[in-house]
Amino acid sequence: MTSEIAGNTLRDEATRPAGGPPAPQNKKRKGVTERDRPLWLLAPGGLLIAVIILIPLVLALYMSLIDLDQYTLRKWLTTPFIGVENFVEALTKTDLLRSIWISVSFAVVSTIVTVPLGVAAAVVTQNPYRGRAIVRAVFLIPYVLPSFVVATVWRTMLQPDGIVNSVLHNVGIDPGLWLNGPMSYWTLILVEIWAAWPFIYLLALAGLQSVDHEVHEAAAIDGALWWRKLREVIFPYLKGPVSLAFLLGTLNHINNFTLPFVLFGAPAPADVNVLPILVYVTSFQSFRFGLSAAMAVVSLILIAIPLFIYLRAVKLDVSDDGGKK
Amino acid sequence: MEITRKNFLIGIGGMGALSLALAACGGSPDTSSSGTGKVDGTGKTLTVLFSTKSQYPEEQKAWFAKTAEDFKTLTGATLQWETFASANDEMTRIQTSVVSGTGPDVYGLGTTFTPTAYSTGAFVKMGDAEWNKVGGKDKFVPATLGISGPDANNQIGIPFVSRPFVMAYNTEMLKAAGIDKPATTWDEFSDHAKKMTKPGQYGLAIAYKDNFDPWKFIWGMSIQGGNPIIDGKKVRIDDPTVLAAYDAYFGWLTKDKAVDPASVGWGNAQALAAFAAGKAGYFPMTSPLSIPTLDKSPMKGKYQYALLPMVPPGQTARPSGGVEAASILSGDNLVVADYSPNKDLAFAFIKMITDTAAQANYYKIFGEIPTNVEAAKSLKSDPLVAPALDAASKSVATPFSGAWGDVQLALTNIAVQTIPDLSAGSVSESALSGRIKTAQSTAQAALDRAK
Repeated sequence: MTSEIAGNTLRDEATRPAGGPPAPQNKKRKGVTERDRPLWLLAPGGLLIAVIILIPLVLALYMSLIDLDQYTLRKWLTTPFIGVENFVEALTKTDLLRSIWISVSFAVVSTIVTVPLGVAAAVVTQNPYRGRAIVRAVFLIPYVLPSFVVATVWRTMLQPDGIVNSVLHNVGIDPGLWLNGPMSYWTLILVEIWAAWPFIYLLALAGLQSVDHEVHEAAAIDGALWWRKLREVIFPYLKGPVSLAFLLGTLNHINNFTLPFVLFGAPAPADVNVLPILVYVTSFQSFRFGLSAAMAVVSLILIAIPLFIYLRAVKLDVSDDGGKK
Repeated sequence: MEITRKNFLIGIGGMGALSLALAACGGSPDTSSSGTGKVDGTGKTLTVLFSTKSQYPEEQKAWFAKTAEDFKTLTGATLQWETFASANDEMTRIQTSVVSGTGPDVYGLGTTFTPTAYSTGAFVKMGDAEWNKVGGKDKFVPATLGISGPDANNQIGIPFVSRPFVMAYNTEMLKAAGIDKPATTWDEFSDHAKKMTKPGQYGLAIAYKDNFDPWKFIWGMSIQGGNPIIDGKKVRIDDPTVLAAYDAYFGWLTKDKAVDPASVGWGNAQALAAFAAGKAGYFPMTSPLSIPTLDKSPMKGKYQYALLPMVPPGQTARPSGGVEAASILSGDNLVVADYSPNKDLAFAFIKMITDTAAQANYYKIFGEIPTNVEAAKSLKSDPLVAPALDAASKSVATPFSGAWGDVQLALTNIAVQTIPDLSAGSVSESALSGRIKTAQSTAQAALDRAK
């Protein structure tokens, strides 16, 4: 039985191209063949995506259209439908747009600084030398430390009477407040950079590993010196991984809740009232679940637009085959 | 993965929604009472949600085990403890439980969180029958019932412990400054603070960056001036009493220079540490929970507690309409979930842990003031704790409104946003008025939504 089916399958595969229907139908037939693939095997993954992504997304969209708060939570299925009112309120009566601006600018600045740092670190640890393993391990320390720990340590160091200010006072500098006021924005960026650059480093290192040995040899034979070799031979290899790192890094920064929350607390100082903190405070301190869902949706849309353009530009979302289609 | 990352922004809303949805799928159990008389809980499990005590983790574990054992002996039922670390964890638990109709049978709630819990309508309202099941309303210190519900007929909270706020003072520093008794008005408090400030020491230890302390000061001074902040359908943050309160509160640092400038970065624990190190004369807004820390410090035997001043700033006596408020009504309430199928068992459990002996024992382990009349009375002989008991009886409940959370947040936010000015050494009235105006409008909007 099994062999017969297998045989049939094989015969089908073998005979179809040779069976030679006319050209236009051939294209259609190809589509059918693709559909015949056992796509149902993707069902577990599909189910997971539905449960983890699609259902929450749909629920968030629904929540953003209803007046869900502490008073209506218990009967949330019969909560009044208020259309776009939450959206209007989010855009006109809350700090949403300012928070989006703070989040996006902070994320982009952090990424712009971490990318050269990460790439430089990867290049430095590319060639073997004595102690390289230790350097690589040390580089990963900020990455493996939990965000909570990183933020707590930095918060302690940056207190008005903390170690950073003590040291600066000793050399005659009065740095002022780190954790509130205008400087808090730069504190957030500084700590984020400290914690996040190894992510770029890891992806850049992976990119460097993919450079063929022959390429290094060829560059050497052609007499390319280190800078030229780096710029014209190695960096083109890194374009893909680093672009991906840029994108993911920026999204991770925008999405980082723990770091600002532990560093500054809630309610946050106005200069670091980033998006996740705003949504959190709206949800869990003001209990305006509908409003916070609307904020999340607005942010998603606002950030998805440049993201989409960027994705198309760097073609991260299309494979080679897809690109030809 | 990529889609996941694109969707990160719906994180909080989305995941919350997911948990709601999944919980909703769980269905709701039948709600039934298990008869009359002595509660037989054989084969049943009662789930209780309590906050973790990070200060006493081992002691709490032991207390959990012992209480479960006693409960088993009493009713035959198994007691299952669950814990939460913060009010936000707790709110998340309540949300999922409220929506799904499953979850803990009994919740331990912070008193100021009780109005929010009440507004969800998910907890049992205490009638005479229910009060009788926990041993009668009379067994509780009357003041502790002040935040159990909006009025005497609509109560959900059963007082468990009381944490009244008092101020600690350094007896030696007061003596050295020629102060014979602790301040009773806020102006006197400020004068004493100035007198005690000299190189190496400050009159006051204040936690300006704390996420809770600031609003407690402001509310306290305001109600002493006759402004309860929420007055019927109107929020009164833009009232002159509130501005005067902030002026006094920030003035201790900017005008009196009686506070360590580093305190703009302090939470309550850091202010306590400064007081414990003998660097401050007064440490207002603390409770007897600080006894273990202080007794392990050089301050052992050199500190006392006193009531916080009860005459508003700028006044020598409380104005007419001013309330004699020593503290916010603070502590923990117990509430029973409406969806619980084990209500009688839940009341039996609450009766057990609010009885005299159990409350006295709880005080011995954790230093939390009993809400049980008899247990509280027996503590009056301890001079260290007596002011706290006095404060408990003079505690005033914060307004019982679902909007209180937002009012509290708005008051705290004013302090948070003023910290850069505080650090620079002066708070301009125009900046402060602007922040007060913003707070007024957000809090009023929240009150307008209150149902």
